[in-house]
Amino acid sequence: MKSRPNLYTNYDKESAIFSNNTQKFWFAVLFVLSVSLCFVATDYWILLISRSLTFSIGAWGINIVSGLAGQITLAHGSFIGIGVYTAAVLGGVASNSVWGFELDMLIWLPAAGIVAALFSLILAPIAVRLKGLNLALVTLAFLFICSHVFSNFISVSGGAGIGRKVAKLVLFGVNLEDGLVFGNFLLEKNQIQYLMCLFLCMIMGFGFKNIVRSRAGRAYAGIRDGDIAAEALGVNLFRYKASAFALASFYAGVGGAMASTISGGVEPGLFNLLFSILAVAIIVIGGAGTVLGPLFGAFFYIMAPGFIQYILKLTHLTESALPLNLGQIEAMLFGLCIILFLIFEPRGLWGIWFRLRNYFKAWPFSY
Amino acid sequence: MTIFLQATVEGLSLAAIYSLVAIGFVLIYKSMDVLSFAQPALAVVGAGLISSLAVDRGVPFWIALFIGISLTGILGLIVERTFLRPMVGEPVFSVAILTIGIDILLRTTLDNWIGLNPRYMGDPFTTFGNFGSAQIGGVTIKYLEIAALATAIFIIIALNIFFRKSKYGVAMRATSFDQEAALAQGINVGRIFGLVWFIAGILAAFAGFFITGGFNTLSQTSFVVALRALPAVVIGGLDSIPGAVVGSIIIGLTQGYVAYYQYDFEVSTGITLGNGFSLLAPYIIMFVILVLKPDGLFGTKEVERV
Repeated sequence: MKSRPNLYTNYDKESAIFSNNTQKFWFAVLFVLSVSLCFVATDYWILLISRSLTFSIGAWGINIVSGLAGQITLAHGSFIGIGVYTAAVLGGVASNSVWGFELDMLIWLPAAGIVAALFSLILAPIAVRLKGLNLALVTLAFLFICSHVFSNFISVSGGAGIGRKVAKLVLFGVNLEDGLVFGNFLLEKNQIQYLMCLFLCMIMGFGFKNIVRSRAGRAYAGIRDGDIAAEALGVNLFRYKASAFALASFYAGVGGAMASTISGGVEPGLFNLLFSILAVAIIVIGGAGTVLGPLFGAFFYIMAPGFIQYILKLTHLTESALPLNLGQIEAMLFGLCIILFLIFEPRGLWGIWFRLRNYFKAWPFSY
Repeated sequence: MTIFLQATVEGLSLAAIYSLVAIGFVLIYKSMDVLSFAQPALAVVGAGLISSLAVDRGVPFWIALFIGISLTGILGLIVERTFLRPMVGEPVFSVAILTIGIDILLRTTLDNWIGLNPRYMGDPFTTFGNFGSAQIGGVTIKYLEIAALATAIFIIIALNIFFRKSKYGVAMRATSFDQEAALAQGINVGRIFGLVWFIAGILAAFAGFFITGGFNTLSQTSFVVALRALPAVVIGGLDSIPGAVVGSIIIGLTQGYVAYYQYDFEVSTGITLGNGFSLLAPYIIMFVILVLKPDGLFGTKEVERV
C-alpha cells in the first residue's frame, strides 16, 4: 500500500484533506517557510503577502457561491464592505462623526462575518427564484443600493470621500498596535498582522476544503450542474442556496475586516462595482470551484503590481517615463488576464498548476 | 407644473440616450446570448474619438462626428472578432465576465487619454454657444436634448425598417431565432455577429456623444451614465427591443422626477434618501421588477429542459 499513493481503499482516505504523505510533507514545508518568512522579509513584502492572504479569504467566499454553487454574484464587494464597517464600528475608535466601541478582536472579527452573513439572507429568497444572469443583475442592483447606503450612512462610514479609521488590533485585551515585546525581542505590528492573516487564512482554507467534501459541498455542486435535477434528487434548493450565500458572505466579512486592518483606513467609494468585479475576476484567474484557485488568484492580483513596482525601483524608472501610470498598468494587466484566461485556460492558474504537476509526476513519460 | 414639465423633458431626453445604449445591449443579447458589459465603454470611447478629432485635431465638427461614430462601430467589430468569436458556445456568464475584461481595457486606455481635466465635444453652432437652449413656457429645453430625442426616434424607425425590409435585417432576425437553423439556411452567422456589434457600437457612440456633449463633458466617470441603460434593458426584458425603449422611458422619467421631487419628498416626510438618490432609483426599480417578473415586462419566458 505504501508504494501506491494513488490507491484508495476507502472513501474517507480519498476525500481526506491531504490524500497522501507527499502533500502533508509539502504543506509542512510551506507552513514552516511562511512562518519564518515574517522574520526575514522586508516590510514591503510582508504587507503584500498579508494583503494577498486576506484577499484569498474573500475569494474563497465568492468561490463558495459562484465556483461551487454556480450562483453568480456581483455583490460580493458589498458584503466585504458590510464586514469592514461592522468591524470598524465594533473595534474602531469613535470620533465626532463616526461610531466606534473599541471592542476586542475576538468580538469584532466573528461579528464582521456574522453580520455580513445575516445581510446576505436578504438576497436568499430572491436567489431561489432567480438564476443565471437575472440573479447576477439582482446582485448588481443590491451592490448599487449598498454603495449608496455606505456613502450616506455617515456615522458608520464617515461619508463619501472622507472615510474613517478601521478596527484596532486588540486581542485578549492586549493592544498590538505598537507591537509585542518578548524579553529583548520586538515583534512588530506588521509581523503580528502577518501571522494573524496566515493563521486565519489557514483556518478558512481548511474550512473551505471541508465545505467542498461535506454534504453541503456535494449539494452545491449538484445545484451548479443542474438545479432542477438536484431538486428532483432531494436537495433543498432554498436551504442550500441561502447557506451558500451566507457562508460566502461570512468569508467576505471576515476577510474584509482583516484586510481593512492592514490598510488602516477605509473610504466608502472603495466598495464600487469594480471591487465586486475584482472578486469575480480573482476566482476566474485563479480557477473557479477549486480549493487552491482563489489563493493563486489573490496572490496573483496583489503580487503582480508589487513585482512591477519592485522592478521599476530596481531599474530606476520613474512613473512619468511610462506611457501609463501604475494603477493603469495594473488595470490593463488585469483586464488582459481576465480575457486571456477565459479564452485559453478557463480553469485559471490552478489549471496551469494542475498540468505542470501532472507533467512532473509522470516525467519522463508523457502520461 | 413647470417643474413637472421640466422633469418630464429631462427624463425623456435621458430616456433617448438610454434607449440608444439599451438597443445595443438587446441586439447583442438577442443574436449571441451575450450580455455585453462593454457597451458603456464603447459609448465613452466613441465620445473620446469625437472629442479628439474635433477639439484636438481641429477636424470640422460634423466630419469628426461621422468619423468618430464609424470608428466606434469598427471597434465593436474588432472586439467581436478578436475576443468574442473564440467564446461562442461558452457559458453565458463566462462571456459576460469577458466583456467586463474588455470594458476594463477600453476604459483604462481612454482614462489615460482623458487625464484629469474634462474633455469637450466641440460645438457646431457657435452662435448658440455650446448647443444652447430654448425657453418654452418657462421650461428650459437644451437643443442637445431635442437632438438626442430626434436621433433616438430616427434610429429606432430606421432599425425597424432595416429588420423588416433588408436582407441582412431578416438574416439577423433568423440568427437570433435559431443560430444553427440560420446556419443551415446559408446565413453567414459570423458576419451577422460582426454586423450586430458594428450597429451596437454605432448606437453606443451616438449615446456617448449625447451623454458628454455640450456642458456635460467627457470625464473618467462618464461611463456610469451609459451603464444605467442596463436597468432599462432588464426592466423591458433582455431580448425585446420595444421593451428596451419602454424600459428606457421608465428609467429616464423616474430619474428626472426623483431628481426634481426628492427634496420636496424629504421635507414633507422627514426621510433622508441621501445624495444622488436619483442615480440609484433605476437600480431599485430593476431590483423590484426582477423579483416580481424575472423576464422583464416584455421578455420572452425562458423554457427550461432538464
